[in-house]
Amino acid sequence: MDKPTASTPPTSIANVAALLQPIFGARPELWSRFQTFYDSMWTSGQISRRVLEICRLRIASIHDCSAEWSFRTVDVFVSDVELDALRRGDFSAFDHCEQAALHVAEKFPFQHDDIADAEVQAIEAGYGSAAAVALLTAVAFFDVRCRWHLVMSSNVPN
Amino acid sequence: MSTTPRLNPPPNTSADFGSYLGYIGKTAAAFFDLYAEYWQRGVLPPDLKETTRLRNARITDCGY
Repeated sequence: MDKPTASTPPTSIANVAALLQPIFGARPELWSRFQTFYDSMWTSGQISRRVLEICRLRIASIHDCSAEWSFRTVDVFVSDVELDALRRGDFSAFDHCEQAALHVAEKFPFQHDDIADAEVQAIEAGYGSAAAVALLTAVAFFDVRCRWHLVMSSNVPN
Repeated sequence: MSTTPRLNPPPNTSADFGSYLGYIGKTAAAFFDLYAEYWQRGVLPPDLKETTRLRNARITDCGY
């Protein structure tokens, strides 16, 4: 497996949070509660952090959201080959269960009506019911975070 | 759209949205704490929040 390179600097969740905090500047209570909620998805242990990370990155790529794409969850390893595949939407490098997660994540932003029963059930078959609910919840909020970044930030190209 | 859940519900519960949140109790509790804060405070009037919530539900074809 490839090693991380300087092109993928690890960033802590705390630093990631700093990206969105200014958006909530007028509502610190709301921000505090959002952080607690978002962190719980990453720390509950119901679904692996790697699966969360690859789905988060794929959604960031779909939205072309540089803010979300530019950081990496520090204790999750995703190789440069895998990052390139996530950029292209090629899931063949991932294992069967990860592919099931990515296929649903792929449709969340703009094709949610096209998510098939079988695709959701493939996640449940691979990870279990509780993990499937945890993953689908997290994926929804990965989509939300990209939309926040894109709508509430300058549209000057990066 | 169908409102029939696609996943197996937790044991001894019905297959509805609320039951599924039982799988992710800590996360669900944190979400509802966040959601309550959103609805109970802030400068936006509640009717504006509700109007946009309903419009978003229609756009996303969400029967809930």
